Amino acid sequence: MNKKILRRAEPYLWIAPSVILMAIFIVTPILKVFQMAGNKVSRTGQLRGFNNFENFATVLKNPTFGLVLKNTIVWTIAVVVLSTVLGFVLALILNNKFRGRKIARAIVVFPWATTLVIQASAWNFIINTDYGTLNTLLMKLGILSAPMNWTPTPEAYFAWEIACGIFVTVPFVTFCVLSGLQSIDTTYYEAATVDGANYWQKLFKITLPLVKSSLTVSTVLNIIYVFNSFPIIWTMTKGDPANHTDTLVTYLYKLAFYNGRQGEAAAVSVIGFIILLICASTYMIYTLRKGDDEL
Amino acid sequence: MNQTLKKPVSIQKVILRLLLYFVVLDVCIITLYPYFAMFTTALKSRVEIFSSNGTILPVTALWSNFIEIWSRAPMGRYMLNSFLIAGGSTIIAMLCGIPAAYALARMKFKGQTAFLGFVIVSQMFAPVVLLIGIYQVMQALGLTDSIVGLIFINAAFNQAFTIWLLRGTFMGISAEMEQAATIDGCNRLQSMLKVLLPVAAPGIVTTLIFIFINAWNEYTVALCLISTDTLKPLTVGINTFNGYNMIEWQYLFAASIFAVIPVVILFMCIEKNLVSGLASGGVKG
Amino acid sequence: MKKALALLLALVMALALVACGGGNNAGKNNNQGGSATPPPQTDEPDKNDEPAPSGDKIDINVIAAEYGQNTKQWWADFQNEFNAANENINLVVEVVSWNDIYTVVNTRLGGNAAPDILNIDVFADYQADGLLLPAQDYVSEETYAKLYPAFLDQSVVDGTVWAIPDLASARAMYYNVDILEAAGVEVPTTWDELKAACEAIKAYDSSIYPWGIDMTTDEGQAAFAYYVWNNGGDFTDADGNWTLNSDANVEAIEYAIGLVNDGYTNSDPANETRYNLQDLFGAGKLAMVIGPNSIPTYIADNYAKANTPEAEQINFAFTSIPTNGGNPSVSAGVMDRFMCFDNGHSDEKIEAIKTFFDFFYDDARYSEWVLMEGFLPATSAGGEIVAKEDPSMAPWVDIVGSCKFYPTAKAEWADVKQGVIDVEQQALLGGDVRELLDSLQSRIAG
Repeated sequence: MNKKILRRAEPYLWIAPSVILMAIFIVTPILKVFQMAGNKVSRTGQLRGFNNFENFATVLKNPTFGLVLKNTIVWTIAVVVLSTVLGFVLALILNNKFRGRKIARAIVVFPWATTLVIQASAWNFIINTDYGTLNTLLMKLGILSAPMNWTPTPEAYFAWEIACGIFVTVPFVTFCVLSGLQSIDTTYYEAATVDGANYWQKLFKITLPLVKSSLTVSTVLNIIYVFNSFPIIWTMTKGDPANHTDTLVTYLYKLAFYNGRQGEAAAVSVIGFIILLICASTYMIYTLRKGDDEL
Repeated sequence: MNQTLKKPVSIQKVILRLLLYFVVLDVCIITLYPYFAMFTTALKSRVEIFSSNGTILPVTALWSNFIEIWSRAPMGRYMLNSFLIAGGSTIIAMLCGIPAAYALARMKFKGQTAFLGFVIVSQMFAPVVLLIGIYQVMQALGLTDSIVGLIFINAAFNQAFTIWLLRGTFMGISAEMEQAATIDGCNRLQSMLKVLLPVAAPGIVTTLIFIFINAWNEYTVALCLISTDTLKPLTVGINTFNGYNMIEWQYLFAASIFAVIPVVILFMCIEKNLVSGLASGGVKG
Repeated sequence: MKKALALLLALVMALALVACGGGNNAGKNNNQGGSATPPPQTDEPDKNDEPAPSGDKIDINVIAAEYGQNTKQWWADFQNEFNAANENINLVVEVVSWNDIYTVVNTRLGGNAAPDILNIDVFADYQADGLLLPAQDYVSEETYAKLYPAFLDQSVVDGTVWAIPDLASARAMYYNVDILEAAGVEVPTTWDELKAACEAIKAYDSSIYPWGIDMTTDEGQAAFAYYVWNNGGDFTDADGNWTLNSDANVEAIEYAIGLVNDGYTNSDPANETRYNLQDLFGAGKLAMVIGPNSIPTYIADNYAKANTPEAEQINFAFTSIPTNGGNPSVSAGVMDRFMCFDNGHSDEKIEAIKTFFDFFYDDARYSEWVLMEGFLPATSAGGEIVAKEDPSMAPWVDIVGSCKFYPTAKAEWADVKQGVIDVEQQALLGGDVRELLDSLQSRIAG
């Protein structure tokens, strides 16, 4: 009897530390967000009672919200898709044996080992029209004759932010995929070579299926991280001009800490959460079901 | 058969090799360019940084900028704090994450899918959003203005990654050897520690690096939780160079370069183990 | 077997706990080893009704804004001197950078962990929530009498002063003497002259930006004030009602946007902050710009650091901001404050806080504080000392006396500030200034 209970309880004991850790340090703060989203909140964060979802109504009625939501979607898709593709290709390249591979791998870690705030400051500094190092470099090389304004429109600035986002996300994907690639048994490839398979066949028939699980993990988490990414946009443009480069997170940060509308900010984050939840659960139900079949 | 094929392949191989080096070189140049820009800027005076005839390399390199930051801010202290936070978070995240990932990969239990879902859902709010809630939790635990508090927060925020990646790694490894070990009289924990973990080394090392780097770079929560200057991590500490009337680019960048170096060194050390861990795993497999 | 496993698992968890415990101690050790002063007590919000002394000492915790490179060290020295001079008080000052201070303060307030004393620019929100004490409760009469009355008026709500000024800065128009001379233009005093000067400078050298404008989230409200005030407009009327869409305001912003559209300004006013502008001006790439009184110090420091020969230095001067329609030139003042949170202080603690302010506003110490980062004093005695010690500051001490300030005492100010920045940026993107200001006015004034 005792043994039976123990056996039943065993898995729960294994996951308990993780559950406790997350429950205390993440779930409690999340509950606070929901509480604030449902309450009237004064400018200094004092709760003033349930206000019948007024925060949500105010947010949704504001035309800016649509613009910001669109930006968020463009930002997330562009950064995740491009950095996944680039990161995957880079991982394939770095998985080859070549002289200097170790150094190359270390270099690829650089963007990721740098705080985002600094990374974004550096990019802002590089692309500045008047004293940016990119203009200086291109002018010294004779490619440009006069300084170029790299950010003539809000869209151009947003594109640079996306580029910066890709730049810092690629290493993450690369190393996820590399760790997957390295656990592939080389005998698979040897067997395939003997069977006369070419490079692409090996790539699609062996490599891709085998790194799928690490690629799936990196993609799902990337979607969440990128959707919620804050420092790059905040450092480079603060969402200027007129919310044209804002995403949900920078927008709600401004609402909370600049406009003193913490209730509305909480409502924005709940809306963002619901969007993410729908996307991620669709994706997860799909992949998990497949995963269970493989078990 | 191999020998007859060798000649045509080798020409193709040379071209491919060259192409490979070309691509790798390009990637490295692009990746390093911002650091080159940061480094040269860190060596310049403000006058030169903003001068109308821009320079690529500093006219007179002010190495003193790199020295001055150490007297202008307790950089050594900040760096030590960052190490404690990142190291501590990594340990806690692994201690909590490995058993959970193991349970998910090797056992069947009710609520398995729910737990996996919960792990993902827990990541869906940006830390920026949770600041006030986090502060209140820390107050209740008496952990505001403490490195321990930051360690727990970072460990918690990295659970999703740890669990998902390790679960994938563990599931990719056949359970046969562990079963054999169990028959030999090992219990589950022993078989996990002795058999599974060595084979899973590459995945574990990757996860370690990820957590360490994420915690090393965390900014917002540390900013709001830590009030004592000597407890601040590097990311928050170097904000000193971001003044009301000016941004001290040369100091900011000099400090940032110092902040990158330890992570890259750590990575290079660990990467070696990653390859060797892999090799031993391969032999057994 | 299973039991053994459960035991082992428990061991792992215990290990984890030990690790945590170890970390805890490490953290505490850091705390003690890190500085000579004891670690700050994070006062539990609910227990604040009673004084929370560490030992027999009265704790005072202060959050102060970081004005520049020297602020942190200045406060550290202040803290040591103060604690040495007042054995029964334990003062802890936390210096936070301007970039982050709102986030830090709002997070603390959200956690009901208000500091005792806060040094920041705004106060109306805290006052509206009843979090502040009236200034006269915690400032001794002597110290209170030192403060410029005009500055105190900026912190009045419902007839009570809720905060006291710690320092101020004033703005004026800086111009590059050499560029203006080479382009053959006089220093502009009116908007028409300004536009003509811009045109002449542009014709002289198209790589120079004639005029600098900052309409960023960082400080776009300042641009609004510069143009509106010098066109006879204002944020509010004499009775304090919002008048954001007045004709004078619309005309002023249209003029500013016109300068941008005519290509007379820096290339991206919606993203280029005052930092960019002062650096462009210092490099001789910008001919004229409205900037704070700290610019001369900033530029001189730069040259000193780089050993720039005199011949390569820019030759600049400052004057009053150009105006329109014969209105008198108005300088924009920015004033920061100290305020005291109502944490249920005991009488003893109030006395300690009074001691703190007496110590801070001590004439010699106070003028050192102001001069340290090149700001302007908020006390008359401080003004005299500053003017004597640094002659270049003397004209500014006069200017600051006649400055106009943002209506920061009004509860809607935070919305107005973000609102006018949004209007400017929308206008830069091609929006109609009148429509934008109309809609802002109706949103703010209801």
